[in-house]
Amino acid sequence: MNNFSKISDKIIESTLEIFTDMVMMEISVIGEPMLRLGALKESISGMIGLAGIHKGVLAVHFPKQVALNVTSNFLGMEVEEINVDVQDAIGEIANMLGGNLKTILSGQGKDIQLSLPSTIYGDEYTFTSQVDVDQIILPFQTPAGVFYVEVELER
Amino acid sequence: MPKNVLLVDDSSTMRKIISRSLRQAGLDFGEIYEAADGQEALAVLEKETIDIVLSDINMPVMNGIEFLREKNNRPGIKGIPVFMISTETGEDVIGEAKILGAIGALKKPFTPDKVNEVLGPLM
Repeated sequence: MNNFSKISDKIIESTLEIFTDMVMMEISVIGEPMLRLGALKESISGMIGLAGIHKGVLAVHFPKQVALNVTSNFLGMEVEEINVDVQDAIGEIANMLGGNLKTILSGQGKDIQLSLPSTIYGDEYTFTSQVDVDQIILPFQTPAGVFYVEVELER
Repeated sequence: MPKNVLLVDDSSTMRKIISRSLRQAGLDFGEIYEAADGQEALAVLEKETIDIVLSDINMPVMNGIEFLREKNNRPGIKGIPVFMISTETGEDVIGEAKILGAIGALKKPFTPDKVNEVLGPLM
């Protein structure tokens, strides 16, 4: 069993830090952590996998409008459609959070390996794990809407 | 004389952000060159006059650690300093980078102030 209360607090801290320092956007935690998200509609998700002493995935899920707004802020230029810039920006947010999750789970670093980030985008899809996992989904409010940070770790 | 910088990161977003942060930090640098992985970085180093490399670690094709190792095998570019900018902050990983010659490391995310603080003395 993973200590999700500690992980959750640190991921919130990391997410706020990434948005304040690099995306240049004020965000806040909204509501309680969730265990299920349901179907994602017209959204983009960035994912990074963990292997080693902890196996799992960290994912960020952004509705299209939120992703466009976040990418515009991140890059300092207007972005109007999901394109390679948006995919790269969302993947990089997942990458930074994955790096922080790795540090939370292992201070040393070499006993956990990170995958390269990847993104998916679609009109409707669900994000589910095929193995028995501990899971938490953290909702965050931005000026353009809500996005989610999800952590799944194999039991 | 302003120093030419090579940014090595597979994320084009991150290369733009680092460039922007260098400018916002008010650092005096020359040309900024970019590479998406260690292999591309080696090619740029062999071709251009680069004074300092700012490199990610977790990259496809050739990661930051492999890049340092390969650079050390090439006498013409071996002495060019490399500073790591990465989400990888574990002591093992950063320690290995330093053993291979990295002169320092900056954790992502970072602010322009932090960039100024750690990279300012190198520029």
